Amino acid sequence: MNTAAHPVRNDDLSLAGIDRAFNSEGRELQALRGISLTCDPGSFTALIGPSGCGKSTLLKIIAGLDHPDRGSVFIGGVAPLVKCREGALGVAFQDPALLPWRTVRQNIALPLEVLGRRASNQTARIDALIDLVGLAGFEDARPAQLSGGMRQRVAIARTLVTEPSVLLLDEPFAALDQILRRSMNLELQRIWMASRPTTVLVTHGIDEALFLADRIVVMQRNPGRIARILEVPFARPRHPDLFAAAEFHRLQDEVAHSLFVGAAA
Amino acid sequence: MLALKVALGLGVWEICGDLHLIAGGALPSPSAILRQWWLDRDVYPKHIAATVVPACIGFLLGNAIAIVAAIAFVLIPALERLMRGFNITVFAIPPIAIGPILVITLPGIWPQITLAAISVYFLTMVMTLLGLRQVDPRPIDVIRSYGGGDLAILRWLRLRSCLPGMLGGLRVAAPAAILGAILAEFGSGARWGLGSFLLGSLGRGDPARIWGIGLAATATAALAYALCALLARRFTASSSIVTLAAGVARDPPRPTGWHRLGNIAVSLGAFAIPFIIWWAILFLSGLSPVIARTPLAVWRYLTEGPDAADTRTVILQALGQSLPWAGIGIALSLAVALGFAITGIIWRGVTAALMPVSLVLQTMPLVALTPIVVLVFGRGITTTLVVTVAVTFFPAFITIAQGLAQVPQPALDLLDVYGAGRLQKLRYVSLPASLAHVCAAARLVAPAALLGVMIAEWLATGYGLGNLLNEARGELDYGMIWAVAFVTIAVSVGFYQLVRLVEFRLLARTT
Repeated sequence: MNTAAHPVRNDDLSLAGIDRAFNSEGRELQALRGISLTCDPGSFTALIGPSGCGKSTLLKIIAGLDHPDRGSVFIGGVAPLVKCREGALGVAFQDPALLPWRTVRQNIALPLEVLGRRASNQTARIDALIDLVGLAGFEDARPAQLSGGMRQRVAIARTLVTEPSVLLLDEPFAALDQILRRSMNLELQRIWMASRPTTVLVTHGIDEALFLADRIVVMQRNPGRIARILEVPFARPRHPDLFAAAEFHRLQDEVAHSLFVGAAA
Repeated sequence: MLALKVALGLGVWEICGDLHLIAGGALPSPSAILRQWWLDRDVYPKHIAATVVPACIGFLLGNAIAIVAAIAFVLIPALERLMRGFNITVFAIPPIAIGPILVITLPGIWPQITLAAISVYFLTMVMTLLGLRQVDPRPIDVIRSYGGGDLAILRWLRLRSCLPGMLGGLRVAAPAAILGAILAEFGSGARWGLGSFLLGSLGRGDPARIWGIGLAATATAALAYALCALLARRFTASSSIVTLAAGVARDPPRPTGWHRLGNIAVSLGAFAIPFIIWWAILFLSGLSPVIARTPLAVWRYLTEGPDAADTRTVILQALGQSLPWAGIGIALSLAVALGFAITGIIWRGVTAALMPVSLVLQTMPLVALTPIVVLVFGRGITTTLVVTVAVTFFPAFITIAQGLAQVPQPALDLLDVYGAGRLQKLRYVSLPASLAHVCAAARLVAPAALLGVMIAEWLATGYGLGNLLNEARGELDYGMIWAVAFVTIAVSVGFYQLVRLVEFRLLARTT
């Protein structure tokens, strides 16, 4: 796999004192207050929390799609927008956000075109990515011809096409069923281990977070804040058997506890 | 089966025509029309070309401006708010009202070109803008996350995803361009053109020829529609029905953080810009102020001098004659259209039968067929009403029926859960949901209604604004031509804004 051949040049991520408020019908909603977080290069962080705790907003701020009222964000020591223009970020959303008039190959090539890079001499790379996400044979299919899981894989391949040093995933598998989700988790781990980009995953699934991440950041809402950070001790590569392990269940209960106790407080 | 029905219909038509059964011979038989076509075979190509050529130029010109404007509006939302007054004015102009002005100020075929361009601008602009705006927001985030700005989003996303809407707009704009060119001929006194041909034949009262021209005009418009539909199909797999934009005046998102003062300035600007453009065009044209009247000159004509009071009285009288019929026409059309649309919910067959007919008839140059209505119904008020309802009913029906079809299914399902019948669903969901669409339809058909009334007055009844304009045109009374056009457009825009106000109230209550 030639993505693995590239030297690791992954960026660290640092957030300090992030505040973000929204105005809705005159009422001010404190989406995020005092968020500080650092992610080491090549680490995998999961953000988990109830709806409205600001985890998607936080991801958008990291991606430079939204801006904090106060506080600072640095990716590899520079502002997100600088990194955006270098193609250093890969972002995947809950929805695959594919362009319906483009083929799988063309959709994956879109970031390269937006960045003004020549997509034509990257054909081999794009085909390798299609292979990596298990879509060989579907290079020229259009999104309408693919199933939901396949579309999401195209989106994942698209996030990897620029060889990003930071991967931001906003509930990328939320729309998939539980079985498909498991297998996508396995594939994501395989893909991630190939190049180890610094990754932030927003999710609702405790099991997903435990299976994939090095540590789990539990958030609470009103205002959106970090309630707790848990280290996940399992060695990699992680096997599906892990889902049945006693230690896995103990940690699952612990995360659930800090989610619900915090919510009740 | 269909062939049999058509043959039967033609047979009945032939007998009625030959025996002069309808309106004392005003409906000629198909064979008489065919015979007349054959006799006129030498002049038809010239007449058709004289209409189609300026219509095509106007179509290209108007659409080019519309598409560029839509792109500018999507890139600079404040610009759209600034140009709202202009857009609404262009939409609300009854073409016949400015026909004479174009004829006295522009040379050659430019009046036809201009009216054709004006007829297509709003339609294409709105449909393109809707297409440009209604993009999936998530790919926008994807492009932004690679540092792409508004231009990148336009290039990779908006331009492509607006194609279906834009082509849908072009499809409806094509027959509108033909109609615009024909209407410009009504006041031009030109030798050639389907409109001139129609007008000349009305005086001689030859039913077979008038019907023949009417059918030829309809066929020309239908062909224009079909050509554009073909083009649209090449680009879009989806064959969604796109009609006159019902969602016309959705406000662009207000820029946040704008000052109240800034908002007021933009609103004032939006009001002033139509006048500024009017002024600027006349200034740049270098026309004599006798012919080309500026806004100030029109105002003076209406308020200063010894004749001003008389002029006002004449115009007000004409308004008093025209407006009630336009109002009655609109009310009648909306009521009947709403009735049919609701009936269509209870018995789906009604909509299924009416919708295709409406879609076809909506693209017909119905107003241009007024001479035929005159032939059948005479020169009385019936003609005014028939023309007005004919041009307003179909767009109104389509808008309301499509609105009702968009009622959210979950809401209807919810009522099903409680065993509601069709009438209850109508009462609790469909009717409240259709109010906004009735308003949209009213906005949509108001300029058409005014146009219908004025055409009927111009060609037949000899009352009202249409007649006043025709007389002023005949006497080269430039002041009156400008004044009537201004008053007509002001009334049309005023009505549009009034409906908007009602609509806002309704929407504020329901959303």
